[in-house]
Amino acid sequence: MAYNYVVTAHKPTSVTNGVTGNLTSPTDLNLIIAKNTRVEIYVVTPEGLRPIKEIMIYGRIAVLELFRPPGETKDLMFLLTHRYNAMILECQVDGENIEIITRAHGNVQDRIGRVSETGILGIIDPECRVIGLRLYDGLFKVIPLEKDIRELKAFSIRMEELSVIDMAFLYGCQTPTVALIHHDQSGRHVKTYEVSLREKDFLKGPWKQDNVETMASMLIPIPAPFGGTVIIGQESITYHNGDNYIAIAPAQVKLSPINCYGKVDANGSRYLLGNMAGDLFMLILEKEEKMDGTVVIKDLKVETLGVTTIPEVILYLDNGVVFLGSHLGDSQLVKLNSKRDSNGSYVQVMETFVNLGPIVDMVVVDLERQGQGQLVTCSGAFKEGSLRIIRNGIGINEHASIDLPGIKGIWPLCVNSEKFDNMMVMSFVGQSRVLQLSGEEVEETELPGFDGDNQTFVCNNVCFNQIVQITQASMRLISCSPGGLAEEWFHPEGKKISLACCNNSQVVIAAGSQLFYFEIESGKFALKGQTTVAHEVACLDISPLQDSQQPSNLLAVGLWTDISARLFRLPNFESLHVEMLGGEIIPRSILLTTFEGIHYLLCALGDGSLFYFLLDPTTGYLSEKKKVTLGTQPTMLKTFKSLSTTNVFACSDRPTVIYSSNHKLVFSNVNLKEVNHMCPLNSDGYPDSLALANNTTLMIGTIDEIQKLHIRTIPLRETPRRIAYQEQTQTFGVITYRSDSGDRTLPGFDPQPPPASLTALNTSSATSKLLSGGGGASSAGDALSDEQEVYSLNILRQSTFEVLHSHTLLPNESATSLLSTTLGEDPTPYYIVGTALISTEEAEPKSGRIIVFHYNEGKLTMVAEKEIKGAAYSMVSFNGKLLASVNSTVRLFEWTPDKELRLECSHFNNILALFLKSKGDFVLVADLMKSIALLGYKPLQDAFEEIARDCNVKWMTAIEILDDDNFLGADNFHNLFVCQKDSAATTDEERSQMQEVGLYHLGEMVNVFRHGSLVMHHAGENTTPVLGSVLYGTVNGAIGMVAQLPQDFFNFLLEVQNRLSKVIKSVGKIEHSFWRSFFTEQKRDTALGFIDGDLLESFLDLTRDKMQEVVQGLQIDDGEMKRDATVDDLVKTIEELTRIH
Amino acid sequence: MGDFLKGLPSYNESNFTRFHSDSSHRYNKPTVYISTKDYPSEQVITTEKTNILLRYLHQQWDKKHVSQSGGKKRDSQRANLSELSEGSSSSKVARVNSTDSS
Repeated sequence: MAYNYVVTAHKPTSVTNGVTGNLTSPTDLNLIIAKNTRVEIYVVTPEGLRPIKEIMIYGRIAVLELFRPPGETKDLMFLLTHRYNAMILECQVDGENIEIITRAHGNVQDRIGRVSETGILGIIDPECRVIGLRLYDGLFKVIPLEKDIRELKAFSIRMEELSVIDMAFLYGCQTPTVALIHHDQSGRHVKTYEVSLREKDFLKGPWKQDNVETMASMLIPIPAPFGGTVIIGQESITYHNGDNYIAIAPAQVKLSPINCYGKVDANGSRYLLGNMAGDLFMLILEKEEKMDGTVVIKDLKVETLGVTTIPEVILYLDNGVVFLGSHLGDSQLVKLNSKRDSNGSYVQVMETFVNLGPIVDMVVVDLERQGQGQLVTCSGAFKEGSLRIIRNGIGINEHASIDLPGIKGIWPLCVNSEKFDNMMVMSFVGQSRVLQLSGEEVEETELPGFDGDNQTFVCNNVCFNQIVQITQASMRLISCSPGGLAEEWFHPEGKKISLACCNNSQVVIAAGSQLFYFEIESGKFALKGQTTVAHEVACLDISPLQDSQQPSNLLAVGLWTDISARLFRLPNFESLHVEMLGGEIIPRSILLTTFEGIHYLLCALGDGSLFYFLLDPTTGYLSEKKKVTLGTQPTMLKTFKSLSTTNVFACSDRPTVIYSSNHKLVFSNVNLKEVNHMCPLNSDGYPDSLALANNTTLMIGTIDEIQKLHIRTIPLRETPRRIAYQEQTQTFGVITYRSDSGDRTLPGFDPQPPPASLTALNTSSATSKLLSGGGGASSAGDALSDEQEVYSLNILRQSTFEVLHSHTLLPNESATSLLSTTLGEDPTPYYIVGTALISTEEAEPKSGRIIVFHYNEGKLTMVAEKEIKGAAYSMVSFNGKLLASVNSTVRLFEWTPDKELRLECSHFNNILALFLKSKGDFVLVADLMKSIALLGYKPLQDAFEEIARDCNVKWMTAIEILDDDNFLGADNFHNLFVCQKDSAATTDEERSQMQEVGLYHLGEMVNVFRHGSLVMHHAGENTTPVLGSVLYGTVNGAIGMVAQLPQDFFNFLLEVQNRLSKVIKSVGKIEHSFWRSFFTEQKRDTALGFIDGDLLESFLDLTRDKMQEVVQGLQIDDGEMKRDATVDDLVKTIEELTRIH
Repeated sequence: MGDFLKGLPSYNESNFTRFHSDSSHRYNKPTVYISTKDYPSEQVITTEKTNILLRYLHQQWDKKHVSQSGGKKRDSQRANLSELSEGSSSSKVARVNSTDSS
């Protein structure tokens, strides 16, 4: 058996489908986009797009359409998954609460039928009479949309046309009429058919057009009264409605294939067109009124609007704003202006939505040496190609820093300034200083009435335009205008003040175990209460929970000796709650705060751990105690606001930002090594900033957008294929390709920036003693052809990601693999590139090269090259040697003292050996379609032997070695599997066959697996027994993690999963077990050996009574014995699981 | 210049008027919908299991007989048929017989 846990760390981001309409109410204008398995619903508002809900679908979404049947006041949503689950959904909104009602559902799979190579097509009749689906070649499936009957009986119609490229229902037809583009030996043709529900058959349609353009790819149905369709080809655009036929061949259209359209006007007079180069066009249907009063389409015009991302869906929203959903790059919200901007473009980008897909390759590195991994992915394609740096946590962007050792506290002040903070107080041992902030300049200044000769505990702006400064010696009230000391308070017995806290109008002072409460009035402090507590005070807080300007009646105190957190009601210090924290570590910082309307008490201890509680603000009662380890040193808690949301900064040796997401607290690391003190700062020169102090430096910076994973983009403007990291030279090697298609600058528009490989500081081009390039005689001819892919190896500096060197490969040479390694005894780090020479006449490459490069001091030099008989699909370092898969073979090369690669031995038993991974003397090989095999190296015989093989058919996309016996694979049908070798089996036959011990439908196509983790592991913190961590990257831009669990824990979680799958109702009524079952064209197997971490984590979003329903009767192993689990047990377990990614 | 971009459709004139690129980022992530309520589906979608060749032959056969025995009867026949459960061969046999006897 295998015991794996698989969970999404970053949801898919590539937009696969999208629609607009009125889904959430008859008046809401909604944008609905599908990102593989998730549907996101937005509403258009004056402020922009407002997210409403994300809906997880138990299937990959193939069709997403809105329609409004007669009698409905708002739209319904039709969804079809790639596993043929159809559903009609209604969205019911009641205030903040949204329910998705499955109005109809069912599976429309046929038992026989050949799955269409052009994918699933789904269309809805404009009159909402039928839904039309093309799932299998030669069959048109009809779902009649009838009301008031229990069963919607779908049926198939035989279609003569086997290869249908696109189809659409025509407007304004008495019976539903479908138009389609199909392909046969003689070319492409457009046909129309009427759908007869009575006959369950096609009837001859109103018109047809044989031999349209050979690359015609898209039909745009035009609304009545014109009707008919626009046919989009690669060179021409045609309008056809039976009587009227207009064709144009505008020059812009030929630049790149048009792949999507979006309707602008409801009457169909303007459409937006997008292509693979990111050009956005407008297609205008010009009309003409005839003598008899009828209006017909007279002409078509295409205008270029500008360059955008490469769109997959174009959705016109409102007032000239358009959503461009992308699969190959970031999605965008753009505005169409009727005037050109300075670059000649009519398009202005308003907002960008990050998309990591398609992730083709990635590496895990620890650049900042903090013990935390970062991912660098090869993302996007063509002009949207980029590297993405993904790290867990929050980045602080430094804007200024001052060397100032020994800071003990910092506070911003706003002295006679309307909007911005203009001073900052810094406290040191035995003294305090005030800094003036003017613009970006910082200089020391004097503040009348300020005590500079003592260490400051607290300094704040308070009501009546005054400042409170509290030191060891006294509490001072300073008037801003006129400047100067207004009142000073000393301890009545002359004791030293040990601690203090204050808000806008209140102060609490602690001296040992004594507490004094003051209210601030104009020009004086009014003592309103005092008390003595059981032990010395260790920390205290009086932050107002609701409005920061209002007084608070709650005081939180942490005590020495009994290690307790207490709540008092002011002014009379009525004790409300005492919480014993346990242990011997004293609380160092306590904080009252509110996240997303929920009140919390946070209490940090001297060892870097943090307790947090839910707080009832009226009774002071604390509940749901939880503990988390943030660092190892005493932690200081401070609140700050980032874009009107409250966050808490925990200063320690592992600085952390605490915020709330989905009503749960999230603890996110900050990319700084140590922070002792912090304060928010909003000055003229540093707006919305943070001031952060460590032992030596004061730093001012801004905080990134708060989210769990932080993503940085390095645009390459060409397609990245492979990436490798070389620690010794502090560089990344990146294989990219660009299309040199000559000049494609559009008249009237500024040229686009060049691809990264053309911006390198140094360049070189391949010369080969072995190969002339071009796989054959055609190279000279190909060089002249319009478009050519040029591959290069680029060396990027790790710190800045600038391209230091770009090496162009031979014409027609395609780089297939990249590795950074040392070889044999030679200590030099090498970048090794595996290539193939592509010739259009050959089905598989017949030749290629393995090239060894050395990068040193800004220069890349070729050290060696080796000719190979095919494509080097994959390479790994193998005990100081180089292991490469070349077409069907696996070959081991030795590095000779003369710095040459020498073939040592080979292994043959594959169709195409696409991927390799190695561990010790073992090699895991993935075949194109024959799943995986394990090879063992016999050093004495200089040979490989096949140890075991998975005998099932699997079309492989990625592999990884989990441990000596377990091997992880991902296939073309979006499955994950684990195979196990059985060394203990009794017969050779059994030993030679791997067992499938893990089977799981991930619903994402995995391109790459890498060992590594995105989170930092604190010693002794994790009580969750999770072993190993393999990250994966997918075509749709998702990142996830596979980890191994101990058997007992696996069984426990499996039980939780089974219960959850019953309590959580799926949208569209697809069973969880169906969704996760291993699925290929040939077979379907029950999921095995994997826990669905995404389902498990949704437990935390349930209401408490539903949590109780899940927990009811569940047994938990408490270390020694089994007992009934409580909701809190499970919350704790699952919250810990959310922290492993 | 750019006249083709004039008069773009407007559903609600105020939409996007208060758009600020910097402030909107924080709220970009919609909350995840989780349902624990079981609403019964009003309708189920089923797909015909009958082979389309068989269905075609039946239809042809029907058509031939109907054209022989006049149009009026055909309608009543059809009405009966739609109530029969699909793909059940026994009912089909019965139907054929009844047509025969008429």
